[in-house]
Amino acid sequence: MSIDSSVENPNLIQRLTRDYSLLVLALVAVFIAVFIIGAATAPNFLTILNIKTILRDAAIVGIMAIGLTFVTLSGNFFLLSMKETAALSIIAFATSMSAGYGFEISFLFTMIIAMIAGAIQGLLIGLGGNPIVVTLGAAGLFFGIGSWWSDNLVVSFRRPHGAEWLGSGSFLGLPNITIAFIIIAVLAEFVLRRTSFGRQVYLVGANRATGRATGHENLPMAIKVCIIASVCSAFVAIAFSAQVSSAHVNYFSSSFGSSGDMTIMVIATVMVGGNSIMGGYGSSLRSSLGAVFISTCDNMMVLHGYNSGPRVLAVGLMIVFSIMVFALVQRGSRSVE
Amino acid sequence: MNNLGKSFRTIVVGAIAFGATVSNAWAEGSIVSFNGPAGEAYIGKFIKGIKATAELKGFDIKVFENQFNQAEQDQQVQQVLAAGQLPDVFIWWPSDAVAGLGSLRALAKTGVPVLKINQLPNDQDKQYIFGYAGPDDRLRARNAGYMMREAAAAKKAAGGTGFNVLALSYPHSYGGYGLSINAFKEAIAGSDLKIIGDVDEGFGQANGYKGAAKMIAALQGQSIDFVYGMDDAILTGGIKALEEAGMVMGQDVIAVGTVCNGDKQLIEEGKQFGTTLQSPLHEGQLAIKLVEEYLNTGKLANYINFTPNPSVTKETIETTALRGFDGKLYSIEELCSGAW
Repeated sequence: MSIDSSVENPNLIQRLTRDYSLLVLALVAVFIAVFIIGAATAPNFLTILNIKTILRDAAIVGIMAIGLTFVTLSGNFFLLSMKETAALSIIAFATSMSAGYGFEISFLFTMIIAMIAGAIQGLLIGLGGNPIVVTLGAAGLFFGIGSWWSDNLVVSFRRPHGAEWLGSGSFLGLPNITIAFIIIAVLAEFVLRRTSFGRQVYLVGANRATGRATGHENLPMAIKVCIIASVCSAFVAIAFSAQVSSAHVNYFSSSFGSSGDMTIMVIATVMVGGNSIMGGYGSSLRSSLGAVFISTCDNMMVLHGYNSGPRVLAVGLMIVFSIMVFALVQRGSRSVE
Repeated sequence: MNNLGKSFRTIVVGAIAFGATVSNAWAEGSIVSFNGPAGEAYIGKFIKGIKATAELKGFDIKVFENQFNQAEQDQQVQQVLAAGQLPDVFIWWPSDAVAGLGSLRALAKTGVPVLKINQLPNDQDKQYIFGYAGPDDRLRARNAGYMMREAAAAKKAAGGTGFNVLALSYPHSYGGYGLSINAFKEAIAGSDLKIIGDVDEGFGQANGYKGAAKMIAALQGQSIDFVYGMDDAILTGGIKALEEAGMVMGQDVIAVGTVCNGDKQLIEEGKQFGTTLQSPLHEGQLAIKLVEEYLNTGKLANYINFTPNPSVTKETIETTALRGFDGKLYSIEELCSGAW
C-alpha cells in the first residue's frame, strides 16, 4: 500500500493552506507585498541610521507593550491606565530629581510608586472588578494625583543630573533605551516560556477555572501582572524624563500627531502583534515585533513624505487588519502556535 | 538684528504702557470661561491668569475645562445655558473653532457678550464675538524667522556654509500651522535659508524627538543646518534627536523656537539660538482686562488684541521681563510655560 508522502510531510505551502483559510493568506500576501514595495521605494530606508531610528522609536511603546502583554496573556484584558501610570511616574521621578535626590533614589522612589499603582489595580481586578472599569478609574486617579502634585506645571531638573546615560546615552552605537528594550524583550520572553510563573500566566489566561482548580487563583496573578505593566510604564517615563530633563503630566497625552494616544498605541501594539485579547495565547516577542512593525510602517511613510493624517490612518488600518486576520485564524484553529 | 531689536523694543514698551494704563477701578460682574484643561501647562497658566485677575478686579468667574474635546465643550455650553443663570460675559476658547461654531452661536443668542481667546476670529465666528485676546501666531513665527535670518547672516559673515532648514511643525491639520509656516517663510524669504524638510509628528517633546529622528534619517545626504521649532516643546525633543545623531547644537545646527514652552537651559547653553516669549499668564490677564473694558464702556478700543511675543536669546534671557496687564512686572520664569 502506497502512502502519499506529501500528506505525511507537507511542505510549507501545504501546511499554510491546511492551517489557514485562503482569505487569510490573501490578506497577508497583499499586506506583505505593499510593505515590501513601500520599503523598497522609500529613500534611505535601509540605512543603519534609519534602522536605529526605527528601533529607538519602537522602544518606548514596545517596553510598555511588553508589560501589558503579561496582563493580556493572563486573561485580564488591558490596563487603560498605561499612560496615566507613566504620567504619575514621570512627575514622581522629576520631582525627586529636582529635589536633588539623585538618579538611584529617584529611580527607586518612582518604581515603588509604580508598583503600588499596579498592585492597587491588580487587587481590584483580582477581586472581580472589571479590568476596563477599574483601570479607567485608576487612570483618572493617577493623572489627577500627578496633576495636583505638579500643580500642572513642568517640573524640570538641570543638567548634568546623572541620568543622561539612560535618556540620551548609547552603547556600541545603539541608544541605551533601545538596548533596554531588547533586554526587557528577551527577559520577558524567557520568563513567559521558561519559568513556572510564565506558564501560570498562560494557564490562568487560557482557562481560569482550570487555573483555580490547580491552585492558581487570578487574584495573585492579577496583582503580579499589573505590577509588571506598571513598572514597564514607569521605566519608560524615567527614560523619557532623563532625556528631556523635565516632566509634565501631559508628556504622554498628546492628542494630535501620528503617535496619537499612548495607551491606545500600546494596546494597538499588543494587538498588532497578534496576542489574544481573551488571554492564554501570544507572547511578549509578538508584542515586541508589533512595536517594531508599527514603527517601521510609520517610518516608511515619513520617508515617502506622508504627513500625520495618513499615518494615523495607517496605524488604524493595521489594527483593524490584525484583528481581522487573527480572528479568522483563531476561528479556523487555535493550535497553530 | 535691527528688525529683531525694533520689534522687541516696540513690544516691551507697548506692554509696559498698556499695563500702566490698566484701571484699578473695582468692577462687578460674572464671567463664565470655556477652555481646555488645566492639566496642559499653557492652559493651566492661562487659567491661573484669568482667575487671579478676575479676583483682583472683583469678578466672579467659573471655568469649564474640556479635554481638548469639542463635543465635551458643546455639552458644557448646553449645561450652562440650561441652568438659566447667565453671566455678564462669556470667555470662549474653542477646542475646535469650526466644530464649535454652533455652541458659540448658542452663547451669542443669549445676548451675553462673548470674548474669543487664543484662536483668531474667522469669517464665520466674528459676528458672534465682541473681541479677541490671544497670541499672534504670525508675529511669533515671523520673529523666529528674523532670528534665524540673523543667525544665518552671522554664519555667512564668519565664512560658514550650509543654510538648509528643517521645520518641526504642528500637525498640518492644526489651524496654527498655516499661519506659522507662512509667516516664517515670509520672514526668511530672500535670505540664504531654504526649508528642506517639514515634519508634523505632533505636539510635545516626545513627538518632536520622533519627528526629528525620522527626518534626520530621511534627509541623509543633505545637511541640516538650521531647525525651526513651531514651539519650544517640539524643538526640545528635536534637539535631543539631533544631538543623538552626533550633531553639535549651536555649531553644526542652529535651532530657533517659539512660545517658550521648552527648556530654558538649552538657550543658556547655546544649544538653542532663541525663542519668542509667549505668556499664557498675560493671555489670561488680557482677557479679564478686555472684559472689564467692555463692561465699563460697552465696546473695545481694538477688536483684535494680541499678547506680546518678543524674541529672547541667550543674551537677553536673564534681563527680559514684561509688565502684566495687572500692572506687575513678571520675570521670564513666571511668564513661560515650559521648564523655565
